[in-house]
Amino acid sequence: MLGDIITPDLFASALRMATPLALAAIGGTICERSGVVNIALEGMMLVGAFFGTVITLATGNAWLGIIAAVVSGVAVSAIHAFASINLRSDQVVSGTAINILALGVTGFMMERLYGHPGTTDPTGTLGPVFKFAMSDDGFFGTIWNWINGIFLSHTPIVYMAIIIAIVAQWAMFRTRWGLHLRALGEHPRAVDTVGVSVIRGRWIAVLMSGGLAGLAGANLTLEQVGSFTENMTNGRGFIALAANIFGHWTPVGSYLASLLFGFADALQIKLQIFRGEINIPPQFFLMLPYVLTVVVLAGVIGRAVGPAAVGKPYEKE
Amino acid sequence: MPVLELREITKIFPGVVANDRVSLELERGEIVALLGENGAGKSTLMNVVYGLMSSDGGQILVNGEMVKIKSPRQAIDLGIGMVHQHFMLVEPLTVTENIILGREPGRLGVIDFATARQKVQEISARYGLKVDPDAKIMDLSVGMQQRVEILKALYQGASVLILDEPTAVLTPQEVKELFRVVRSLVDEGLSVVFITHKLEEVMSVSDRIVVMRDGKVVGETKPSETDDVGLARMMVGRDVVLSVEKGPSTCGAQVLEVTDLEVRDDRGLEAVRGVSFTVCGGEVVALAGVSGNGQSELVEAIVGLRRPSSGSLQLKGLDITHASARASIEAGVSHIPEDRHRRGLVLEFDLAENLILGDHRLPPFASHGIMHPSAIAGVAERRIEDYDVRTPSWHVLASNLSGGNQQKVVVAREIGRNPELLVAAQPTRGLDVGSIEFVHKQILAERENGKAVLLVSLELEEVLSLADRILVIFEGRIVQEFTVDEVDEETLGYYMTGGGGSKLDGEAEHVEMTEGDS
Ligand SMILES: Nc1ncnc2c1ncn2[C@@H]1O[C@H](COP(=O)(O)OP(=O)(O)OP(=O)(O)O)[C@@H](O)[C@H]1O
Ligand SMILES: [Mg+2]
Repeated sequence: MLGDIITPDLFASALRMATPLALAAIGGTICERSGVVNIALEGMMLVGAFFGTVITLATGNAWLGIIAAVVSGVAVSAIHAFASINLRSDQVVSGTAINILALGVTGFMMERLYGHPGTTDPTGTLGPVFKFAMSDDGFFGTIWNWINGIFLSHTPIVYMAIIIAIVAQWAMFRTRWGLHLRALGEHPRAVDTVGVSVIRGRWIAVLMSGGLAGLAGANLTLEQVGSFTENMTNGRGFIALAANIFGHWTPVGSYLASLLFGFADALQIKLQIFRGEINIPPQFFLMLPYVLTVVVLAGVIGRAVGPAAVGKPYEKE
Repeated sequence: MPVLELREITKIFPGVVANDRVSLELERGEIVALLGENGAGKSTLMNVVYGLMSSDGGQILVNGEMVKIKSPRQAIDLGIGMVHQHFMLVEPLTVTENIILGREPGRLGVIDFATARQKVQEISARYGLKVDPDAKIMDLSVGMQQRVEILKALYQGASVLILDEPTAVLTPQEVKELFRVVRSLVDEGLSVVFITHKLEEVMSVSDRIVVMRDGKVVGETKPSETDDVGLARMMVGRDVVLSVEKGPSTCGAQVLEVTDLEVRDDRGLEAVRGVSFTVCGGEVVALAGVSGNGQSELVEAIVGLRRPSSGSLQLKGLDITHASARASIEAGVSHIPEDRHRRGLVLEFDLAENLILGDHRLPPFASHGIMHPSAIAGVAERRIEDYDVRTPSWHVLASNLSGGNQQKVVVAREIGRNPELLVAAQPTRGLDVGSIEFVHKQILAERENGKAVLLVSLELEEVLSLADRILVIFEGRIVQEFTVDEVDEETLGYYMTGGGGSKLDGEAEHVEMTEGDS
C-alpha cells in the first residue's frame, strides 16, 4: 500500500498545493519586512480568484484572467496600504475588515453577475506547460518518469512561483529595493534620516503583496479547480502567514515552508483515498495542514523573530 | 566665513519653548562644545539643523548661504551629518549595509557590495575608524556602533558633524579613542558640534564652549578661560558640588547573596562564568568593568529578566534564582536599567504611568484590578517635583522628554519604590552635573537607610565616589575585589582590561591605551 501512496503524483500534488500558499507567503514576507502586517492575504487571494474567474468566463482567455486577478489583488491591497500607512490605523483591524469585505463582495457580485450563489460555471483549467511522454525503458525510464511526473507536469503559475521565490530572495538581499525593505521594518526612522521615504517604501511593499496574493488566487481557480466557489480560499491566506513565519521572513524560506504545508495537504488527500484500509476518520486527515499551522505559529519549531517595527505605524516627528 | 551659522532659531513645543532665539556660529576646523542642563534644548536645536524638526523661526546659513532644511536628506546634501543621542542603526543589518543605506553604489538598482565594502574600508582607514564591514550591528559594542554612525556620516560626505552626547555610552578608553577620531576629523577640515554633560571632556576637546539654559544661549567661553566649577555654575546657575561626601559604611544584614552564578547571553554563550559575592544592607557595591564582560547579563539575572544556567541568588534568605521580573520587584528589588529606551520606559505612555510602572497593580495605585488615577497623579507629581524632571506636566508622553529627563523618570520610580536592593546600571547616563549630584545623593541616602545598592558603572569616577567595595569583572569572572580606599582609577583600569592575568589576546587595543595614558 505504501507504494500506492508514495508516487510521483504525491510530490507533484505537493508542489501544486504549495503554489498558492507560497505566492501569498512571499507577499506576506515582503509586506511584513516593510513593517506592515498583512493578515488580509486571505481576502486578497479570494478577490484575485474571483476576478480571475469572472474575466476568464467573460473573455475566454485565462491569461487575461490571471492579469485581472493580479490587478484586483493590488487594488484591494491599496485599501490596506492607505489605512495602515497613511491613516496609521491598526493593521490587524484593517486586515480583518478587508477579509470580511472580500468575502461579502465576492458573494454579492456572484449573485449579481450569475444569479446564483455557490459555484460559477467552469472555466476549464490551464494545461501543463510541458508535455513529455512517459518512458517504459527499465530503470532509467523509471527515474525519468519520476522527474517528469514531479517537476515537468505543471501549469504556468507553479513555475512562476518558483521563479518569483528565487528572484525575490535575490532582490531582497542584493538590490537597493531589498536593502531599504529590510531596514524599513526594523527601524523606519533610521531609513527616514538617510532620506529614503518610509511611506513610499511601505506602499510599494503592500501593493506587491496584494499582487502576489491575487496571483495565488488565480492559481487556485484557473489552474487547480476550474471554477470559483464562495470562500474557496478556505484559510490559505492564514496558512501562508504561518509559512512566512516558518520561513523566517525570506522568500525562499516561505516557499520551502509552503512546500511542507502543500505536502501535508497532498498526503491528506491521498490518505483519504485509502481511508477504507487505514480506518481513521477522514476529518483527521483534513486537519493535518491546519494542525501544522498551529504548531508552527505556537513557535514549537524554533522561535522566529520578525522585523522589529512590524505593525507599528510610522509617524514623522 | 562660518561653515554653519544659526540665527535666532526658535522652536516651540506645546507648553515648552525649547529654543528661544538661539544663535550659533561654527567655523571650519572648529570643535564647539554645546553644554547645558537636561532639557535645555540642545538636541532640539541640532534636530532642527538636521532637518528632523521644523523651526518656528530663525535662519540657517551654510557657507554663508541661506538655506531651508526640511528633511535629513537636505541636511546630508548640504554636508551636515549627525550622530544621534539614540542611534539610528538597523540592528540585523551589517555595518556596510547601514553605512551605505540611502546612497548605495551600483547600477540599475543592484547594489555593488564589493565597491561598497571597499569605500567603507577606505574611509575607515583614512580616519582611523577600524571596524569589521561585515559584522552585524547587533553583535557590536556600543562604542563600535557609534563608530559606524560616524562612518555613515562621513560616507554621506559630511563636512559638519553633530555629535549628540557621544560619550554617554562609552567606556573611558572608548572616549579617548573618540577624541582622537574627532581631532583627526578637524585636521581634515571638518567642523564638529559636540554635545556633552561631562565637563572634563569639554575642557579637553573643544575649541569653544556654548552654554544653553532654558532654551537660550546663556554664555560662551573657551577652555582656557574657565574651569569645571565655572562651567557648572554657568550651566546650572548655582554652585554645584562635584564630589559627594559620605560617611563610613555600616554593613548590616546580608541582603543579596550571589553564589556560583552562571548566565548565558542571547547567543547562548557563557557570559557570566561562576560569580559569587554578597551585598549587605547599608553598603554600595560597585561592579567595575569594560562593557561586554558579562555585567549586563549578571544584572539581568539578578533582577529576573534572564534565567541563570546555574548557581543561586538569595535576597534576604529568599531564593530568587528563578524569580520572574514581577516576583523580583515584589521581593524588593529595584532596577535602573542601562538602556532606558529598551527597558526603563514605555515611550508611548505618559509620565504618570511611567512613574509607577511595576507598582501599578498594588495599592495605593490600584485595588481589585482597578487603577486609581488620582493616587497615581499625586505620586507622579511628587516624583516629578523631587527629581526636578523638566516637563510642563505629567500628561506629557515619555517620548517627548529630553534624554536626561527620561533618565530621571526611571531613577525616580526605582528609588521611589523604596526597595531592599537597588540595582543601578549606569544610573546617571545622560544626566547633567546638577542632576548627577542629586541622584548620587539619593543613592547614598538609600545606603544610609540600610538598603543594599549594587552599582554598575563604566564611569570610574562614579564608582570611586559612591562605592564601599568594588568588584572588578572581566570576561564573566570577578577577577579582583577592593575596598574603595585601597584603589585608584589606574589600578582599576588595569584589572578591568585583564591585567589581573586572564587571557589578553583580543583585548590588546584596550591595554595599549591604558598604558599610553599613564
Ligand atoms: N517631541 C517633543 N514634544 C514635546 N516636547 C519636546 C519634544 N522634544 C523635546 N521636547 C521638550 O523640549 C525641551 C528641550 O529638549 P531637548 O531634548 O532639546 O533637551 P536637551 O538639551 O537635549 O536635554 P538632555 O541633555 O536631557 O538630552 C524639553 O523640555 C523637552 O521636554
Ligand atoms: Mg538631548
